Amino acid sequence: MFRKLTLAASVASMALISAPIARAQDTVAVIVKATTSEYWQWVFKGAEQAGKELGVKVDELGSPKDDAAAQISILESAAGSKPSAIVIAPTIFEALGDPIAAVTDSGIPVIVIDSGAKTDKFASFLTTNNEAGGKAAANAMAQCIKERTGKIAGKVAFITAMAGHESLDSRDKGFKDGIAAYPDLKIVGNRVANNEEAEGMSLTADMLTKDSDLAGVFADNAQMGTGAGTAISEQKLGDKFCLVAFDADAGEVEHLKDGSIYALIIQDPYMMGYAGVWYGYAAAHGARLPKNVDTGVGAVTKANMNDPAFAGLLDVTKRKLSSFVGN
Amino acid sequence: MNKNFLSVMFQRLPVETYVVTFTVILWIVLSIMAPNFMTEGNVSNMMRQVSISAIIAIGVLCTIIIAGIDLSVGSVAAFCGVLVAQLLSHGYGIPMSVGLALIAGVLIGSLNAVAVGVLGIPAFIVTLAGLQVYRGLALLISGGMTVGGLPPNIKDFARGTLLGIPNLFITMLMAAIVVHYLLSYTRTGRYLYALGSNSEAARRQGIPVFRMTMVAYVLSSGLTALASILLVSRLSVASPSMANAYELQAIAAAVVGGASLFGGRGTVLGAIAGAILFTTMSNGAVLLNIDPFWEMVLEGLLIALVVYLDNLQKKRLSGL
Repeated sequence: MFRKLTLAASVASMALISAPIARAQDTVAVIVKATTSEYWQWVFKGAEQAGKELGVKVDELGSPKDDAAAQISILESAAGSKPSAIVIAPTIFEALGDPIAAVTDSGIPVIVIDSGAKTDKFASFLTTNNEAGGKAAANAMAQCIKERTGKIAGKVAFITAMAGHESLDSRDKGFKDGIAAYPDLKIVGNRVANNEEAEGMSLTADMLTKDSDLAGVFADNAQMGTGAGTAISEQKLGDKFCLVAFDADAGEVEHLKDGSIYALIIQDPYMMGYAGVWYGYAAAHGARLPKNVDTGVGAVTKANMNDPAFAGLLDVTKRKLSSFVGN
Repeated sequence: MNKNFLSVMFQRLPVETYVVTFTVILWIVLSIMAPNFMTEGNVSNMMRQVSISAIIAIGVLCTIIIAGIDLSVGSVAAFCGVLVAQLLSHGYGIPMSVGLALIAGVLIGSLNAVAVGVLGIPAFIVTLAGLQVYRGLALLISGGMTVGGLPPNIKDFARGTLLGIPNLFITMLMAAIVVHYLLSYTRTGRYLYALGSNSEAARRQGIPVFRMTMVAYVLSSGLTALASILLVSRLSVASPSMANAYELQAIAAAVVGGASLFGGRGTVLGAIAGAILFTTMSNGAVLLNIDPFWEMVLEGLLIALVVYLDNLQKKRLSGL
């Protein structure tokens, strides 16, 4: 399910080649999309861990909210301070392409994580295959509807956290394609929110008013998952309704436990931060890197959430990488 | 004669006439077009949805009446919400946690009032700074993570009803009645309007300007703290990113409800009607399956239209 073994192996082998030559003045700048989201805090946690292991200074940067213009100026000033490498999660595909290419041209290796940018001038791209994640959500929903009703048929809808974000659009596309494979499932609605929990909650409640026979909703990030989960738990629909959500923040995990969320599609932000810093460091020291790396995506349900393989993915404090890298 | 009588009547229409008329028309249209609109479930759902934003709008209205503004309410809601959630998750009881969050709200309001009233910094700047500061503090005390693990009974209040009416809506009504009474039937209320209409005249007449500034900003932040506690009760988690851009919703609700950004004008009923209008619009957009991008355009145009009609009336009032 998690195709991380290859990634882990490559990180581990780099540990062997490059760890002994760590220099004290090495700095890797990590620029996330929005510092206010738990997901990006997990990226930072992974980056810190890698920094500790490598003896590299990690600068944690980003604007509080998704903001392409702010991110470009953060990238430019980070590049101005001449770090060994820059790890960046681009907010907007089109907007960050040229700035990233410019940094690469100036001789600083750039590791792109999470979302793509419109350029091929980067050292490596570590990402979840968001489209595959969306498909996994569609399959989890079909499985849930089958469990609840005995057949895979009914109306479903999805909530997009924000308009115009490459990773969210890919998830939605994967979900739509995934649902299309089930001839009796029909998508009856899509709403776009302002990446705000309360709005995700209202939209879910309103969609249930519109189609009282709605069988399931896909929420495409953590804020929407928490909000939609609250709406389902408020109406006590957990055992009838099929809510599938992306990511795993505290609110979503609570709803997974109380049954309001059927499945969480989880990614590995910790690994993106961790491997991002490792890769950046390796690139700065001349190592050749794979251009595209999939950090993996999987579906967690209440039934398998206590599986030790998922513990560190649902709760970052339980994350243990040492044994993982040792594989 | 008859025409004259009508125009006099028209001039005397209360400020919230347009927003109430619009909302009622929208309700009628929606009940015809969307069969599920006027159902008990949807009405109670909308009552829950509107309560939190209406409470914040009532608070911000108080600052608008004295010709001030409060741009910090969204961030203050996130800060107080994360604060109450952190206290709860560390085992402090509900009365203690809620009490401390409300005190934090009142302190923030007092700080704003001192900055505006004593230091003389424009309210726009003070509260714009607050918008950054309190969002930052919310992130700091939560470590940037969603705060969960709250006692399960925290949900009970937001989910409960009294005589079939959601507790959230009743809380909003109580806040509304208190502020409405204060504004319409007390000397403090008259002073607030006087200060907003002409601050220099108010000062010369001996109105205690600083005390009135204090009342307005403490009401704004205090009611926001109350709303944030209700939001946490609804979500049963608190995230530092919640209540994003609530200040704009609150200002829009107050202004659509007849408040003037130049001060001296605005009512609690208008602000609530404004909040109800926005909730109705977003609910209606989902029920009618309007494209979400068009929904944003339509909402913006509707705000512009209501405020334009309202301004026409204001001109008639002063011109005729």
